[in-house]
Amino acid sequence: MNSMKSDMKKKSEIDFRIVALGAAVALLVIFAGGAGMSLLATEILIMALFASSLNLLMSYGHMVSFGHAAYFGLGAYGFTLAIVRADIPVGLAVFAGPIVAMIGGLIFGALCVRLTEIYFAMLTLACGQITFTVLFQWYDFTGGDTGITDFMTPRFGLSEQYFAVFTLTIVILCLMFMWRVIHSPLGLAIRSVGQDRYRAEASGLNPRQLQLIAFTISAFLAGIAGTLFAVFHGNAFPDYAGLGFTLDSLIMVVLGGMKSFAGGIYGAIAYTLLKTYVPLVIQEWELVVGLILLFIVLATPFGLAGGIKRLQTMLGMGGKP
Amino acid sequence: MFAVQLINGLMEGMMLFLIASGLTLVFGVSRIINFAHGSLYMLGAFLAYQIVPIFADGSLVGFAIAVIAAALIVGLIGIIFEVLVLRRIYHTDELMQLIITIALVFIIRDVVRMIWGANSVTVQMPDAFIGALIVGDNYFPIFPFMIFGAGLLVVMIMIGVIQFTRAGILLRAATDDRGMIALLGINEKLVFTSVFGVGSFLAAFAGGLQSPFGDVNYLMDETVIVGAFIVCVIGGLGNLYGALAAAMLVGVMNALGVLYFPRLAMVMTFLIMAAVLIFRSLGRQGGGAR
Repeated sequence: MNSMKSDMKKKSEIDFRIVALGAAVALLVIFAGGAGMSLLATEILIMALFASSLNLLMSYGHMVSFGHAAYFGLGAYGFTLAIVRADIPVGLAVFAGPIVAMIGGLIFGALCVRLTEIYFAMLTLACGQITFTVLFQWYDFTGGDTGITDFMTPRFGLSEQYFAVFTLTIVILCLMFMWRVIHSPLGLAIRSVGQDRYRAEASGLNPRQLQLIAFTISAFLAGIAGTLFAVFHGNAFPDYAGLGFTLDSLIMVVLGGMKSFAGGIYGAIAYTLLKTYVPLVIQEWELVVGLILLFIVLATPFGLAGGIKRLQTMLGMGGKP
Repeated sequence: MFAVQLINGLMEGMMLFLIASGLTLVFGVSRIINFAHGSLYMLGAFLAYQIVPIFADGSLVGFAIAVIAAALIVGLIGIIFEVLVLRRIYHTDELMQLIITIALVFIIRDVVRMIWGANSVTVQMPDAFIGALIVGDNYFPIFPFMIFGAGLLVVMIMIGVIQFTRAGILLRAATDDRGMIALLGINEKLVFTSVFGVGSFLAAFAGGLQSPFGDVNYLMDETVIVGAFIVCVIGGLGNLYGALAAAMLVGVMNALGVLYFPRLAMVMTFLIMAAVLIFRSLGRQGGGAR
């Protein structure tokens, strides 16, 4: 993808050729690969959106969230609980998920942006664990660890392929929105706070407010991913807000490459493929992921997108927008 | 009932401190949040499972030797990891350091599963640990008391080392200002390496000690690390005595919480952690601004 750091500055317009290319590749995979491939593609797309939302925080706002799954989980639960507890029709409930996640992001974010660096990360961890624990323990309302199942036909009853196309549309729209945000004046302010908050403050910006805005947008996007995930599987479990998903999202961003718009997307592709295909060869897929992570951090801490591209060609898979 | 839970809480607190002490020591000196601390704990438990049958047929000394041996092995692993990997990344972003230790979590988890399988194993309890004390109408299992005693011993050794030896002076100096000790001509690398080794040793020691008291399986790392984070953060990252106080607080609160408001017990600790982060830690390290 051309969305590298260097041309980020000069080009703020969305390059529709890249979007079209990515969409074409995704559609090719979906329709040539059949139902199985479509499921995999849907999972990758949702994870790409989730990872990109974290990437927005990490690469541009310089905020490392250790509880990002909270907003993914809030999205999933906001949607399912709206249906199960409030009897809202499915068509409307899909909006509840992202909104609940956004409100969660606003509340937790308002607390978290008071801190920086490692203390910020620790507080997001605490907020994430609070969300997870509430979902896990509030049996009467959230169903506890048994989760919520059988409240709707998974994928709105769409076929695997049509749902994959639906997800693709939503994810592309969200990523274009994210691109516009990053390259708007607001995005520029967020990036300058991310690079040097003191200098940004000195030039009249309000770092905490900008960080909170970035945090809320990021939570909103993660909430959309969570809602899509709940629709995709037709269920919601507390694990969606747990440490496992948080670590997954972090690993995806680092795998894909920080400081790059496409980092989250590459990471989601690579990570999901690793998760799917490595176990077919050897059982210890986590070991493989761990070693790859180790290698990446030691060898090329930042400019990973190129390395991921090589990995993709090795695996014989194309990229998505 | 209150008294029973209070004592149980203190026992749990001591266990938490044993786990968290290594984490907070490492953070204090090298500013690394070691996500793999829980994995080292797990490794210690599994190694104890492997070594205990060699020495012990239920004897206390054999058990102690086995646990210490397991901890020494893990300490060595920690040192090797520090020299080979961590040493290269001290200058980089904090995030990268975290990611490295997360990679270690994944690696250790799968290696453990490869060697010992996915099922839980149990470690034989030494004979001296079996049984219960009867005070009034209450039964107290002996085992937690033993852990408490061992914990107390470790605390005393630690305080002794930190206050009265040259290594302790170096440790305190490095925690205060690590750039300064380099200027004073002290081998900074050696300090970092040995602290990481001691931290790994403590994690594995806690794991080995706890191992007869419940299932040992490859999924225990996550719960352990989250608990250790809570304690470290409440106590002030890098502050050993803060961690001791925080561990006791969290342990007692968990135990009493289960008694009085079981549903809220789990959330409570995280709420306290969040509150402490926002309104500053008990320890002196807990500033919000960088």
